[in-house]
Amino acid sequence: MSETGQSASIGAMYQEALLAHHRAPHNRRELPDATTQASHKNPVCGDEITVMLQVADGVIADAAFSGRGCSIATASASMMTDVLRGRSVAESLVLGEAVDRMLNGASVELPAELTPLRGVAPFAGRHGCARMPWQALRDALG
Amino acid sequence: MLSPLAPRSDFPLLAANPGLHYLDSAATSQKPAAVLDAIRGFYETANANPHRGAYALSAKATDLYHDARSTVARFVGVSDSDCVIFTRGTTEAMNLVASSWGRANVGPGDEIVVTALEHHANFVPWQQLALATGSTLRIVELTPQQTIDLDLLRDAVNTRTKLVAITHVSNAVGAITPLQDAVHIVRARSAAVIVVDGAQAVPHLPVHFDTLNIDFYAFSGHKLLGPMGIGALIGRRALLEKMPPYQYGGDMIEWVRDTDCTWNVIPHKFEAGTPNAADAVGLAAAIRYLEALGMANVRAHEVALLERADAAVRALPGVTVYGPPAAQRSGVLSFSLADVHPHDLATILDQHGVCIRAGHHCGQPLMRRLGVSATARASFYVYSDESDVDALVGALTAAQALFASVD
Repeated sequence: MSETGQSASIGAMYQEALLAHHRAPHNRRELPDATTQASHKNPVCGDEITVMLQVADGVIADAAFSGRGCSIATASASMMTDVLRGRSVAESLVLGEAVDRMLNGASVELPAELTPLRGVAPFAGRHGCARMPWQALRDALG
Repeated sequence: MLSPLAPRSDFPLLAANPGLHYLDSAATSQKPAAVLDAIRGFYETANANPHRGAYALSAKATDLYHDARSTVARFVGVSDSDCVIFTRGTTEAMNLVASSWGRANVGPGDEIVVTALEHHANFVPWQQLALATGSTLRIVELTPQQTIDLDLLRDAVNTRTKLVAITHVSNAVGAITPLQDAVHIVRARSAAVIVVDGAQAVPHLPVHFDTLNIDFYAFSGHKLLGPMGIGALIGRRALLEKMPPYQYGGDMIEWVRDTDCTWNVIPHKFEAGTPNAADAVGLAAAIRYLEALGMANVRAHEVALLERADAAVRALPGVTVYGPPAAQRSGVLSFSLADVHPHDLATILDQHGVCIRAGHHCGQPLMRRLGVSATARASFYVYSDESDVDALVGALTAAQALFASVD
C-alpha cells in the first residue's frame, strides 16, 4: 500500500523513455557560448541543476545543463533542453507553465518529447524534482 | 524470527495498515493507543488552564501537568524535576539556551564548539549566536566512520571556549557519541557549558542526566512514541536560575510593575503562556509505555534488527553504508546505492509499502563532508520486526533491478 494513495503505478513514472534520459542525458555539457544561465537548487534533497542557454534574436539557439539530480530531475532537464532548441523565449516560458499545469493534473498539450514527464504527475512528492530545470529556465530567461 | 518488541496492535496507524513497513522512526515515531487515549482523556476529564483557576478542575489539570514533569525527570535521570523545562521539542530547547544563556554569556573573542555531525537544530542556533555576538564558531570534524573525532575535539576546546554543543546520537547516521570521553575532554580543558542534543538518544537508550556531568540536555517527545509539539530542556539549577527568560508573558512572571517585572521560579520562568499540558500528559503516557518495555530491551531489540538489516543491505551490490559498525549506532541505517538517487529510492520503496527517509536529514554540514547531496535512511523502533527488514531488502533489490534494466 502507499500512504500517498498514488493510483498510478511506479512503472508509469519510471518508464523506459524516462529512464533512458536518466542513463544517457541529452545536452549535459557546458555551453561556452551561453548568453544566459541560472541554477536551481532543491533544498529538500540538495540537488542542483544549472541551465545554460544561447539566445539570439529572442530564440533559443542552444540549450544545455549541468549539475546533479535524481532520475526525474535529470530526465526532465534532458527532455527540456532537447525541446527548447529553436523555440522563442516567450514560447519556452509558456511551455514551462504548461509543464507546471500538467504536473498539477490539468489536461494540457505538450510536445511529444515531453510525454515521459506525464508519468510524474501522480507523484506529488516528486513534482519538485521535475520542476527543477524549468525553474532554472524561468530564472535564466527572467 | 525477530518479533516486534511492542505489538503492532498497540499502534492504531500500524494496525490499520498491516502492509506498511514504517522505517522512518528517526524522523518521528508512531503513537500507541495509550498515548492517544491519554491526550483525549486530558481534554475529556481534566481540561482547564493549569496554574490559573482556584477550582478543582484547574487543580486537576495542574496536577497532571506536574506529574508529567516528574515522569520526564524520572525517565531521564533528573532528581530535581524543577530543572525540566517543557518546550515544543529539541529545536526550541536549543534556541532557548542560545537566546537566553548564549546572549548573556558569550561575547567577542569567545569560542563556541560544535561538531560536523550535528542536526541543524544543534548547529544553526550556535552559528547564529556566534555571528550575533562576534564570537568564533569552531567545527569539530569527524572520523572516516562519521563519529566525532575526539582528538580534534581536544584541539578545538580551550580556555576561550564558552559552550560546546554535541549530539548524543547522530540522526543522520545513528552514531552514538562516546559522551563520557567527550565530557572529560571538555571539562579538562575549559569551563565551557556543555549542551547535548538527546533527540535521537532518549527514545533508544537509557539516559541518566544527573550522571552525565553536562549542563543542558534536550529531547523531543514525538520521537519516543509521544505527541508532536512537546519536548524538554533539562538544565542545571544554578544555570537556569541565573538565565534571563526566553519568552515573556503569562505564567513566567512573579510581579508585573508598570516599568519592570520580576520572574517566576524555574521551571515556570521558561514556560511563558498556557502550557501544552495535554501533550505533556501524552508524553508521560509514552514514557510509561517505554518504561514497561524497558529501555535496555528497546536497545537490544534495535541492535538485533539493525545488525540483521545492516548485513543484508551491505550484501547488495553498489551499497555504501555510513556511520560506525551497527553495534555503535542507534537503530539507524543510512546508505546510498550506486546509480539510484535516494529520492528515486524512496519513491520506489514507497510503492512497496516501505517508508524511508531520503534527504540531507537536516544535516547539510555532514552531507557536504560525505560528498553527497542526500542519503537514504531506514530507522527502526519498538514496533519494527524482521518482516520490515525483509521488505526493505526486497524493495531495494527491486529498485536496483528497475534502474539496471535495459542497459
